[in-house]
Amino acid sequence: MSNETTALARHRAFSFSRVLAITVNTLTELTRLKVFYVLLVFALLLIGSSMFMAQFTFQQEFQILKDISLGAMSIFTSLLAIVATARLIPQDIEDRTVYTILAKPVPRFEYLLGKIAGVLLLLAISTFVMGAAFLLVLYVREQAMLHATLRHMSGAPGEQVDDAVRAIRSSALNIDIFPGIVIIYVKACLLAALTLFVSTFATTNIFTIVVMAFIYFIGHLQATAREYWLQEHSSGWITRVLLAGVALLFPDLQAFNLVDDIVAGTAISLTLFFKTAVLGIFYTTIYTLLAAFVFYGKEL
Amino acid sequence: MIRSLLVLAVLIALGTLKLPVERDLAALHRQEHLRGVEFNLDLREKLGQLGFIAALSGFRAIVADGLFIQAHVAWERTEWGRVLLLFRHVTTLQPRAILFWDMAAWHMAWNASVAAMNDQTQPRLALRVKAQREYFALGKDFLERGIKNNPDRPQLYEALARLYKEKYKDHEHASEFFAKAAALPGAPTFNRRFSAYELSYCEGREREAYDRLRQLYNEGEKERLPTLITRLKFLEDKLGIPQDQKIPDKKR
Amino acid sequence: MSDPAVAVRGLTKIFPVPLHRQSIVAVRDLDLRVEPGEVYGLLGPNGSGKSTTLKIILGLVSPTRGRTEIFGRDSRLVESRQAVGFLPENPYFYKFLTGEETLRFFGRLCGLTGVRLKNRINELLDLVGLTKARKRRLGTYSKGMLQRIGLAQALIHDPRLVVLDEPTAGVDPAGSREIRDLILDLRRRGITVLLSSHLLAQAQEICDRVGILADGILVREGHLQELIAIENQTEFVIADASAQLVDQIESFINRSNAKLITRQKSTTTLERLFLDATTKRPES
Repeated sequence: MSNETTALARHRAFSFSRVLAITVNTLTELTRLKVFYVLLVFALLLIGSSMFMAQFTFQQEFQILKDISLGAMSIFTSLLAIVATARLIPQDIEDRTVYTILAKPVPRFEYLLGKIAGVLLLLAISTFVMGAAFLLVLYVREQAMLHATLRHMSGAPGEQVDDAVRAIRSSALNIDIFPGIVIIYVKACLLAALTLFVSTFATTNIFTIVVMAFIYFIGHLQATAREYWLQEHSSGWITRVLLAGVALLFPDLQAFNLVDDIVAGTAISLTLFFKTAVLGIFYTTIYTLLAAFVFYGKEL
Repeated sequence: MIRSLLVLAVLIALGTLKLPVERDLAALHRQEHLRGVEFNLDLREKLGQLGFIAALSGFRAIVADGLFIQAHVAWERTEWGRVLLLFRHVTTLQPRAILFWDMAAWHMAWNASVAAMNDQTQPRLALRVKAQREYFALGKDFLERGIKNNPDRPQLYEALARLYKEKYKDHEHASEFFAKAAALPGAPTFNRRFSAYELSYCEGREREAYDRLRQLYNEGEKERLPTLITRLKFLEDKLGIPQDQKIPDKKR
Repeated sequence: MSDPAVAVRGLTKIFPVPLHRQSIVAVRDLDLRVEPGEVYGLLGPNGSGKSTTLKIILGLVSPTRGRTEIFGRDSRLVESRQAVGFLPENPYFYKFLTGEETLRFFGRLCGLTGVRLKNRINELLDLVGLTKARKRRLGTYSKGMLQRIGLAQALIHDPRLVVLDEPTAGVDPAGSREIRDLILDLRRRGITVLLSSHLLAQAQEICDRVGILADGILVREGHLQELIAIENQTEFVIADASAQLVDQIESFINRSNAKLITRQKSTTTLERLFLDATTKRPES
């Protein structure tokens, strides 16, 4: 440890390994906080709902199973995104860990990038696990149903059996569910980045969560406000300014709710999928950059 | 302070940029039959404030399922008015779910109508028949609105055809809707056959029915089912088809 | 290198108070220079601007006016922090990490990897006496251990300057003695130390130079010995002297122009008494 060994690698303006260190640390933090318990609740909900549905026909059962599972995935990932992100920055400031980190040669942008990347990774893992659990339950129910149907129809003509099998198959897994799940994830990423942005000027995580709850609801109404603002010109100026504010400042969260209709059987075009995904990524990037901008000016 | 104003300015500037993108996306949604729901004050009153907000916030499908389960319970208790009301909400919330339209129509035309006919508290037959006809009409209405929302899928056409056939004994309409179902992608093969069967019962359209049945017959062994052969023979006799053009008797 | 380790010129920091007309002046027109290799103590009561000054030097807070540099590099540049290690007051770190993981995390932030990082971690755990506790989560560490792991992380990238904010606050005497020894060890290795403290006795033991801050103004600065020396007084400490010898010395003084101010038995310090009474190896 002589004084001459200070010849560290020359400082780089951006270092992937520094970001990675913060990302891994954030993921470790969130994991050790046991946020994954949410996934357990999800699993219980899945099992619970499929047990309770014994009294329905298979179309009803699959429809409800898919609605509940994908609805729960949507709310759990959104909730996880908001709650996990809201505490990251205020907690680090309160614990003064942010001082130790930023007193190292770490640019503030890298710190934020590492944090958000950690959350996005956590969300990806959660979405993947929930999606896998859901598909497994759906597959098991489908197989059980096929088995029962084939037993029932053992004497029926081949054509009828084929029709029945096709009916079960088509009401169970629908290939459009996959892009739907990807969009659920994209929406959660958007919410995480937005939460990060809000948390850079918030002082407590309760404040951030409350603000995010409002944004969540207003974001779902944004489309309605936007159309009203652009099409109705008869309302008073206060209303119009309010509507314009909502339309301009809030993201259209309704645009990311594709699963409701996918479960109902609507096919999603590739164009729609890509446009939605790109919009989500755009929002995520913008909110992360804005968060960094605010964070640069923050007195720690 | 300057920073906050700058952030606000950036948000507004980007907001103006993203506005056309989001509108374009919404148009695409409508084009692909997503977001078929018009949220109005009426629906808010029906669902209650909490349900309405939930339905707006990305839980539309789950709210619909909840109401569907309530409707199921109401059916078990044979509260027909409630079943009707709940299914109206369910289909408003999820107009793209074939299942809900189909279930709604089935409950009305098959279950409620039978219950009305057997109603012990109504001694006058005429009134019981009238009630039954009203439930048929409600079932038909659900299916027609369902078709309007889902013109691209065969299931509801088929359901409407069955309703005409079994409840109204209207073979002409039944045939028409079986044919419409058969024309759509993904329709079960029997729809085409059923359409021809129904047509064979229509006075004055025997020739048309005969041609269609004969065409099916010619397609091969797969289509030569007992009912088809029976209907074909019936028409051959009725239309006086020459012996050499008749289908052979199949002695098993 | 002729650049000072730390140079502060004309530094003023004003914190605006939201919704109030007046604002808080934390530091006013501060000039400060810390030379390479010395231990500099920034002393002052709570709220005198010590922590703010340190945070500005580290680039965590931006100055309202003036300029700070570390080895000639502007504090606002991220590169300037390559040469500096920082231990904040009462650091918490991540409770969910073990001692070893903590050092690995901070090492990675400084661009250390592989065998070099591993060796460095072992070396530092050994230096601060936490080798046995390396696999324990920080949530189970005592205050003194946290302070020591904090010092280890500050040293992870072998900085030329170490900034310590109240390094012994809340630590028991044995712990604070260990930290003091570690600081003296750093000085022996030629590492510059800038520390803030309101515990004057400890500052007196380790600092080469001190600056005293009051209400954001540097009121005194200089070499410790010069600052506290009383020019016209001299102390003797004599061991094994007979009573007769002591009387002779006293009468000799009385016969001269000089004046005897005190004559008393030497006492040990309370700290030494405490340490002797409680001596056992500290937890590690």
